[in-house]
Amino acid sequence: MGGKVTCTLGEVKQRADFIVYWGGNPAECHPRHFTKYTIMQKSRFLPRGRKDRTMVLVDIRETKSAKAADTFLQVKPGKDFELITILRAMIKDQRVTDAQIEDTGMTREVLDKLVDQMKNCKFGCMFFGMGLSMTRGKHMNSAALLTLAAELNAFTKFVAMPMRGHGNVTGADVIMRWQTGYPFGITFNRGYPRYNPGEFSTVDVLVRGDCDAAFIIGADPGATMPQPAIDHLKRIPTICLDPHITHTSKLARVHITTAPQGIAAPGTAYRMDELPLPLKPALKSPYPTDEEVVRRINEELQKKPFWMPEGAPLTMTAHG
Amino acid sequence: MIRITGGKVYDPANGIDGEVKDICIDDNGRIVESIDGGRTIDATGMIVFPGGVDVHTHVAGGAINFARAMTPEDHRRTQAFIRTKTRRSGLGGMAPTTFATGYLYAGMGFTTVNEAAVPVLSARHTHEELADIPIVDKASLTLMANNEIMLDQMQAGEYERAKNVVAWYIWAAKSYGVKAVNPGGVAAWKWGEDAKQLTSPIEGYSNLTPGKIVTQLAQICDDLKLPHPMHLHCNNLGAPGNVSTTIDTLKHLEGHRAHIAHSQYHAYGGDDWDSICSQTGQLAEYFNTHPHITTDAGAVLFGDTVTITADGPWQHLLYKLTGRKWGNLDVENETGCGIVPYTYRPSNLVNAVQWASGLELLLLIKNPWQVFLSTDHPNGGCFWRYPEIIKLLMCADFRKECLEQLPDKIKGKILLPEIDREYTLYEIATSMSAGPAKALGLTKKGSLGVGCDADVVIYEEDPTDIARTFAHPRYVLKAGEVVIEEGDIREAPDGQEFLVKPHMAADTDEFMQPRFEDCYTMQFENYPVELERIERKDLQELPAE
Repeated sequence: MGGKVTCTLGEVKQRADFIVYWGGNPAECHPRHFTKYTIMQKSRFLPRGRKDRTMVLVDIRETKSAKAADTFLQVKPGKDFELITILRAMIKDQRVTDAQIEDTGMTREVLDKLVDQMKNCKFGCMFFGMGLSMTRGKHMNSAALLTLAAELNAFTKFVAMPMRGHGNVTGADVIMRWQTGYPFGITFNRGYPRYNPGEFSTVDVLVRGDCDAAFIIGADPGATMPQPAIDHLKRIPTICLDPHITHTSKLARVHITTAPQGIAAPGTAYRMDELPLPLKPALKSPYPTDEEVVRRINEELQKKPFWMPEGAPLTMTAHG
Repeated sequence: MIRITGGKVYDPANGIDGEVKDICIDDNGRIVESIDGGRTIDATGMIVFPGGVDVHTHVAGGAINFARAMTPEDHRRTQAFIRTKTRRSGLGGMAPTTFATGYLYAGMGFTTVNEAAVPVLSARHTHEELADIPIVDKASLTLMANNEIMLDQMQAGEYERAKNVVAWYIWAAKSYGVKAVNPGGVAAWKWGEDAKQLTSPIEGYSNLTPGKIVTQLAQICDDLKLPHPMHLHCNNLGAPGNVSTTIDTLKHLEGHRAHIAHSQYHAYGGDDWDSICSQTGQLAEYFNTHPHITTDAGAVLFGDTVTITADGPWQHLLYKLTGRKWGNLDVENETGCGIVPYTYRPSNLVNAVQWASGLELLLLIKNPWQVFLSTDHPNGGCFWRYPEIIKLLMCADFRKECLEQLPDKIKGKILLPEIDREYTLYEIATSMSAGPAKALGLTKKGSLGVGCDADVVIYEEDPTDIARTFAHPRYVLKAGEVVIEEGDIREAPDGQEFLVKPHMAADTDEFMQPRFEDCYTMQFENYPVELERIERKDLQELPAE
């Protein structure tokens, strides 16, 4: 298990005749997804647009997105992993009992039809949201869905893609990867990058109280993180860069107002399919950009003594 | 100003073979006839090479970054770079991080690299990564052979239009040339198909064949006067018996310039994985009789690596063969990419044939100006293992030792046991510096002649271990600056990027816009990489015909 079989959104627009949204509500969370990329677009391969495409929504409750779907499948809460695993078995004609199917809230008839659609479409795409990746099973659910998509390539063309969130989170992932090898959950406390989500993720470091300062940019953990993490942010010197007053800026020791990205600050944003888009500011801001603030802080840090004593070893092999 | 004195100089671009002579460098980082004053580096007893040039590598952009994400288990066990005053932190391994990539290349004496596969759609990303690779100079090639807007023009017989489309894309990507990967095959993969025969129409097209794409794209590269010819990854990579496809492709290229990438992967006989054998003799013979075509070995070294290529259908096959992780990224209108971690084992017959084939090509192609050192990093092995290949090329005895670990059933399937040739230092300098620089059309690289960039490597010969000699140069100079000294990184200056601006018809923008808007999902105006985003550039405007 592992890896990711995916494409850019233009491929979905051009070719996808079968689309599954799993654990997401694009109608309310990504309102332009349907019209720009997935079900409403006409293309040279799908000239009738919506009529040439089939859309299935899998979720634990009937959201507004269900109206746009040809089929809505209501999975029992916490049973996504089981349902994906059953589908992986069924595409390979392996035996699954009725009781196992019913346990997920589905019927054999419904799943037979779904498997048939998956295997016989020309280009299938599954989008998965936080309803899958952040509920019971977490990354195991995502891995199972990505594996299902990979395995469907034995029958037809099939891809999968996460529905990423706001604040250029994809861009942060991409850049951390080229500079450190890892997307998130990284520590530099030995002078080189190490990775362990669950240990070095921001929320874990805060909850354990391991850090003695926090520098927050492009995020509002004060609104989303669990109370023990927020309590620690209040205890330590927290510095926040944000164009707005946020929950985090209110609890921070220092709040530096910066120019909003894309409106008054230039740069690059990475779309959810990792496509880099240039940001061209339309307005001027009296505030500095995030980049300028970080650069000036760095310049001041350069004046401090270097962290590593002279004569320390320069390279090493990482043994855990 | 620096004077390197007393060293034995190997400078094939100027026919200098081990002559003891001084190399003088001025304050502009150029090699000059003589200088007055400045620092002197005593290289007595040492050997002096022009800086290494990697003609084909994958070090920046969406694909290698995908590979980094997929291999945290390798990062954990690999060499770590701790941040110092002159250097940023990073990780080596199968898919090194950007800063580490610069340190590792410079650390073994390479000063110029060519990133061989850039989708235009994510070229902005590639340039951001290239800017984070310190020390070395960089060129990049645009993936073209499966671009649907270009294929439509070729299908319609509109050669001039197709040529303008290619020129437009090269300039949009701010790249240095054209890379063709599995022409037609990646386009077919968008429907889950491949293109293995040069004369069969491509899935989704009525009369366009891979053969026609190969010929026309080579012609386009010639007509646009690109300094580097079409850089071709042939159809049918990795498959038993594919040498016939490769030879057929070469015949389609008669009369054109071309560089054939990683030819090791295209030199097999046999009908299936059991009967696979090396057919490098046939392929080498073709190169020996066609001196205008160059290639790089794409040699394989035993051990762990991660394979990344725009050849999506091949990677699906490799995933099915290995059952390991599989990454795939299809890029709208343009290309695709696949990633599969892989371990080459000497006990595996196919891997053993691959290992031997890479070395055979390097040894059987007689002219080192035609065949260059490469592993198609990271596909055949990581670039920082090049010194191991140099040792295999220079020591026939060491090769014999290595042959002993191969399985018995390899007998009769490879040519390597019968080859006695040993590379000289002069030939090594040709294959890893002067040759690739010439093929890339980089006139100031790969040479220690007056006026060239002062990228110089000084090795201290270790008679007991050639690999060690080449893995640990005593000094590396980049544009006249000492970047490596006594095994330490002393400075990590930023390198420059080579770009070309090909000539195109004045109405190409108007021609492109409606077609672009039909298949892309971003704004036409936002698509080309802005020239000012590339901070240090060497821009060459190409003349019209």
